[in-house]
Amino acid sequence: MKAILTDITKCIGCSECVVACKTYNKLQYDVPRDWHRNDGLSARNWTAIIHKAGPHYIRKQCRHCLEPACVSACPVAALVTTKEGAVIYKPEKCIGCRYCMVACPYGIPRYDWEHAIPYIQKCNMCHDRLRQGKQPACTEACPTGATIFGEREELLAEAHRRIQAEPDKYIDHVFGEFEVGGTVVLYISDIDLGFLTYPVKSGDKVLPKTTAPAMSAVPPAFLGMGAIMGGLYWFCKRRERLQNEKKNGKVDS
Amino acid sequence: MNRLSTFKSILWAITGLAIAFGATRMIFGLGSVSNLSDATPWGIWKGINVVPGIALAAGGFVVTAIIYVMRRHEYHQYAKVSVLLAFLGYITAATALVVELGLPWMVWHPIIYWQHHSALFEISWCVILYLTVLFLEFIPVPLEETSRFAGIRRFLTKYKIVLVFLGIMISTLHQSSLGTLFLITPEKLHPLWYTSILPLLFFISAIAIGPLMLIVAILTISTLYRKHLEMNKLSNIALISMVVLIVYGLLRWIDLAVAGKIAMAFDGSWQTGVFWMENALMLFIPVILLSIPATRRSKTGLWTATGSAVLGMVLNRANMAGIMLVNTGNIYTPTLYEIFISLGIIAAAILAFLFCIERFNIWDVKWTSDEERPDASPRFGHASEVWLGTPRIAGRAVYSLVFVFSLAVGLAVIPSNRIQSAGVRDVPVSRARGGATLNIDGNRDGYGVAFAHDDHARRIGGDSMCVVCHHSNIPLDSQSSCYECHSNMYTTADIFRHDWHADPEGGNLACNICHKADEQRTASTAVACDHCHKDLVPSGATIEIKQYLAPSYADALHGTCITCHKQKAAEMADKENLGQCATCHKLDAPSYLPAEVVTAFRDTMYNHVVLPHDTKNDMSDDLDEAKDNINR
Repeated sequence: MKAILTDITKCIGCSECVVACKTYNKLQYDVPRDWHRNDGLSARNWTAIIHKAGPHYIRKQCRHCLEPACVSACPVAALVTTKEGAVIYKPEKCIGCRYCMVACPYGIPRYDWEHAIPYIQKCNMCHDRLRQGKQPACTEACPTGATIFGEREELLAEAHRRIQAEPDKYIDHVFGEFEVGGTVVLYISDIDLGFLTYPVKSGDKVLPKTTAPAMSAVPPAFLGMGAIMGGLYWFCKRRERLQNEKKNGKVDS
Repeated sequence: MNRLSTFKSILWAITGLAIAFGATRMIFGLGSVSNLSDATPWGIWKGINVVPGIALAAGGFVVTAIIYVMRRHEYHQYAKVSVLLAFLGYITAATALVVELGLPWMVWHPIIYWQHHSALFEISWCVILYLTVLFLEFIPVPLEETSRFAGIRRFLTKYKIVLVFLGIMISTLHQSSLGTLFLITPEKLHPLWYTSILPLLFFISAIAIGPLMLIVAILTISTLYRKHLEMNKLSNIALISMVVLIVYGLLRWIDLAVAGKIAMAFDGSWQTGVFWMENALMLFIPVILLSIPATRRSKTGLWTATGSAVLGMVLNRANMAGIMLVNTGNIYTPTLYEIFISLGIIAAAILAFLFCIERFNIWDVKWTSDEERPDASPRFGHASEVWLGTPRIAGRAVYSLVFVFSLAVGLAVIPSNRIQSAGVRDVPVSRARGGATLNIDGNRDGYGVAFAHDDHARRIGGDSMCVVCHHSNIPLDSQSSCYECHSNMYTTADIFRHDWHADPEGGNLACNICHKADEQRTASTAVACDHCHKDLVPSGATIEIKQYLAPSYADALHGTCITCHKQKAAEMADKENLGQCATCHKLDAPSYLPAEVVTAFRDTMYNHVVLPHDTKNDMSDDLDEAKDNINR
């Protein structure tokens, strides 16, 4: 399982990662549009730098959840998790229902609203580079080592090591270690990164598990309803027959 | 015009508008007509057409269950109409999906790409299967008109009970799965709506309000065609629905109480207003009105109760699908175009419903001759009225006229500004301020670059080399500012003003001065600027006309600056930082930059630095070429 660790205290906001991402993934010019959220991400920006007073620069990108809500939501398996941990999108399967956008706890997937043939747009962790044994374009481009790539266990250990080495500097929390079941993209920071998700936090709740009980109840519900209706049918038909016999009997006598 | 033809005319008019706007959506994308956004990707098409369309069609399986499973044959007259209503309800939902899905021609993909963890996958399968079942349940009715397929009709009628069972079982699944859809959004859906028993609530409310929708349909038919109603039977059905509705209400409110959310319903926000409105429409008004026997048996009472329940149900589903996804930071308000597409799909479904009612043996409104028609009242004594023929021909003429007229109106008011802007806001730019050092902050938002203009000019080679950066100078102007052509922050710029050149008050040039007589008049075959503007380019240089979209203001400047900066950074050993964004966009001194680069412009902040590379629009190639040409 690979991972990306972003150290907010080291980021200088130079946006070289954004440039590298756009260059490698051949994303076109981006302009602010009416349907964008104001976090810098868009159909043409798969990663973006958010400015916070301080200054703090927070790189936003797909978190590549270990148990992704988008993957469990997609009705046609157009979103899948690779063995490296990247959540990737297969446009040839997509039907454009946008349920992944509704489901994502971080609000990451974006849409080509201006195109007649639109697709979901999101960071794919440069999974083709990962397969070639390379690191993602963004981490390779970072001039200060603020965002680094490696094995998830090693990066988690490194994150905890940094926090322990300078406990005054960091918040004692690795963002993404446990949230929504854990994410591949980890952050350590000197400010709270709660704004990366929605105001009401789902916390460590694993989102696919919210729908799983209802989904596993589907076959029993199907057969159970059939059985109930079958019983009802038998009962009502018998009552009808008895009533008819009674009526006919009266007529006869 | 009588009641029926007025009603139909209105429906045709709405359909015409919807077709115009729907075509716009198909050709120019979802963004052209809707206010859907990255924050609220689902809107009223899902919230009014798809999800409630399916829920309101639940009358089909509930009524068939009452008639065929519980053997209550006294309601048999409602069987056909409830199946027709369900069939059209599902077709409405499917039609709305064609508009709503980004790639509607891929809608069949769930059949081959399986993903059984997804509620939507399960719903897609159920809807496909149930549409088939409803089709088989309904098709004997039109087949009664012909004797050709008597065998099929007899077969389907004989095994009707199998279809009824399948319909009930499949409906149970997807009516509840529609609620499962929203279980995955705990952090977005408003807590007054989010609960883990959503699937149960969806299923029970569908059972309750499906039959009420059937009553609305029957009341509509009786009003339009002036038919007698069997109020007893209708009020009995309404009574059953009311009991189920009470169960739904109890479940919902007990769940709220257990979760401790009831206090939240009194916090006075606009969401609680919608919450109370929804509860009143869907729950309180119908239950109170239907529990009074006299009201239940009166036509007005039944109208109010059922209409209110149906509206409440639509509001409830719309809240789930879009309006109450409130924690996304955006508040979604549908555009008029979206609303008319939504209404148009419903209007078309009602027209199809009325057609089937009139044409087939479903209800006692079928007629065999024109005299029996409800709109056949002869009109005498009105000198102003033109007799358009028999009611059928008159109807055709009127509806066609209304439809074509409203289609034309729709096409006339399609949102051309939305289509052209493609969502890009208009951000006019203004001239850079300063003298030898320019503050380039085109869109005046405080994020800019202090640009040492005279210093750059000196390095490049002095006054004669303006053309290295300033392409397409306006004649007689040796240093046209960028903003004169790139006049808007994000729209493409017209750097060659064709119309101005041809205009008598502008260039006043005949076509043949630039275009050769025997060739097609395109930009690539025209003569280049230096044909006339000898002073525009240094001697010895050539200009080749290439066609590409001039990029936006910020991107144009980036393309001009970065190309050169990267090149110089590669050439000069002591300037390796020249290609870094922070060389020009500075806030605090990055640790790796030499101090003298940083000191000057501490007060300018950097914006998102969005660099163009490897795209078709990239102008850096052209700039390189232009420079090569100049050097030659």
